[in-house]
Amino acid sequence: MQAYRWMIDSRDQFGPERRQALQNPFSLYRCHTIMNCAKTCPKGLNPGLAIAQIKKDMALDVPRNARVKRVMKNREAKTEENVKTAMFIRGSKTSQVVNDALADLYMLKKPHAVNFTKKNQIHPFEDPSNLQFFSQKNDASLFVIGTHSKKRPHTLTFARMFDHQLLDMMEVSIEHGVPMRDFKTPKSAIGMRPCFMFNGDMWDQNPHYIMFKSMLLDFYHGQTVDRVALAGLEYVISVTSGPMTSEGKPGKIYLRTYTIVLKRSGVKLPRIELVEMGPSLDMSFGRMQEAKPDVWKQSMRVPKELKPKKKKNITRDEMGDTVGRIHLGKQDFDKIQTRKMKGLKKRSATEESESSEKKQRVDDSDDEE
Amino acid sequence: MDVSEVLAAHKNKFKSVSVEGKIIPVEYDLGLLTAYDQNPVEESELKSKKDEYLQALSRDNAQLLFNEIFQLQTISDDNGVMAMLPAPTTLLPREKPLPKPKPETRWEKFAKAKGIVNRKKERMVFDDATGEYKPRWGYKAINDDGTKDWIIEVPSGANPMEDQYEARREAKKERIDRNDKRRQRNMEEAAVATKMDQKAVNKGERPNMDNVRALKRKEIENQILISKNSTASAGKFDSAIKGDLKPKGIKRQFEPTVTADLSKEKAGNMNILDRVVGKNGEDLVNVRKAIKATKGRR
Repeated sequence: MQAYRWMIDSRDQFGPERRQALQNPFSLYRCHTIMNCAKTCPKGLNPGLAIAQIKKDMALDVPRNARVKRVMKNREAKTEENVKTAMFIRGSKTSQVVNDALADLYMLKKPHAVNFTKKNQIHPFEDPSNLQFFSQKNDASLFVIGTHSKKRPHTLTFARMFDHQLLDMMEVSIEHGVPMRDFKTPKSAIGMRPCFMFNGDMWDQNPHYIMFKSMLLDFYHGQTVDRVALAGLEYVISVTSGPMTSEGKPGKIYLRTYTIVLKRSGVKLPRIELVEMGPSLDMSFGRMQEAKPDVWKQSMRVPKELKPKKKKNITRDEMGDTVGRIHLGKQDFDKIQTRKMKGLKKRSATEESESSEKKQRVDDSDDEE
Repeated sequence: MDVSEVLAAHKNKFKSVSVEGKIIPVEYDLGLLTAYDQNPVEESELKSKKDEYLQALSRDNAQLLFNEIFQLQTISDDNGVMAMLPAPTTLLPREKPLPKPKPETRWEKFAKAKGIVNRKKERMVFDDATGEYKPRWGYKAINDDGTKDWIIEVPSGANPMEDQYEARREAKKERIDRNDKRRQRNMEEAAVATKMDQKAVNKGERPNMDNVRALKRKEIENQILISKNSTASAGKFDSAIKGDLKPKGIKRQFEPTVTADLSKEKAGNMNILDRVVGKNGEDLVNVRKAIKATKGRR
């Protein structure tokens, strides 16, 4: 009865877990629906009905109402995916620098973002199970966790999930940060798509930089669309890689955010000017956990529908020229058109026989004469 | 008339849109509105006047990126001028695995065999009787049995005292029930087929629905066996019913004591040894911890 009380509660979100817990020979199937329980119940309850309903629930995993159904449908795996939702979480101890950075990153990611303002006991590198739980509950697959400790000061952990399981994560610690509010400049509107700039020669070479680039693009690239409003390009996220340190470790990264001002230039293309809008973060790399190869491979699969269609018979040669091939079909040399000449003229069999008959007839008439 | 001076004066009025000094050409991923500038950064400038240098560098690259974006094909619609973006070239991981194909329903199977193709029907239909558009189904539908006829002729041979409206309602209810049952059956069969044909599902194909009846039967038998065990003694002291289903337990397999081929036995033993002390031993035994433990004991 108690189990059923929770299972029919529309606010409860643990339906699958509860059903799983009851899937054994001792819980439900011990009831043979003799209904003595209902007959003798001093409070007039009906446990038999509750058990029967749970049995039915377990046989058919169906949503309870139309709203739940819509939400479940939206959360299903799709060929063209939703924009990834990011969660911004404060760890058990944070600093003002980290709080500011989290608030600013949240502002840039809105509206596809969830902000946790309270502190959470969360240590993703030690135990990622919290993240997996949050990911399931909020249908989120991106995380930023802000922490601050003596060993790792002003740290942001960026984490990504695949199928609600941890894919990869990396730590950066903020060495110098200026929040958005300290720049008294115009800000971009909420939910606009940024342009990205990756400056420096490290972005394809060092695994730290490669992962940071992928993370940043994944966080802020928004919906993949085939067109963009030119007036809607409002701001730029520019990341510059500093030089490697003398010990051969990855150096700093400088993240800057600017609003774009388009000016007249006398030609069709506009002259671009940038105004810093914040946040401005100088960061160094910390720990990193790369994705497992098999999971990574699975996550990078492109559905058949989204793959570019192969154009038949069109290839590109080494020089970069497009070469086309035309199939003419089999040539029948009997039908080939050569020079027209009376002697070569082909006649059908009937025509030939007719003409021979004519000849004969002419011969006959000759005889008569 | 020489206009070159005028042109030059006009040009000088504005700042240039071209950017110079890029040794390695900047690469773009216009699908993601991204520019990759592979040129190494100037360390001295980065140290001395960081923010100015970063802003100047970003401006140059933004200019280059916008020059590319503004040269794309554009269309104008309600949202203003739109640039048509190419597909992104930088691949990013998906959020969830590729969707699994749904098993075929009985109707789909039938329609495929018969070559029936779904036609798209409009939601609203013109009603000749009232002269207005009405929904094809649902609330206030055109074919609403309850409101359509205010008078019904009693069919020949029918009981004249029977309420024809009631009969009509009953018939509709029956149709709905029948359809619901079919839907239920489709769901059950789909669940069973997906469970049994994981091979196809993992490959991204539709599960085999050919002998779904047999699979469903097997599933029901499993459920019965579970429920039979669900007694106070977990099935131990229950008297068996004649001809009833018997649970198939796992039979122990005994290796023959004497065989000509000893390689299998050797491989099995080596496997155990390998796991404990061999090359894979580190996973099973924490060497550091083990050493510490033995030292502590002394």
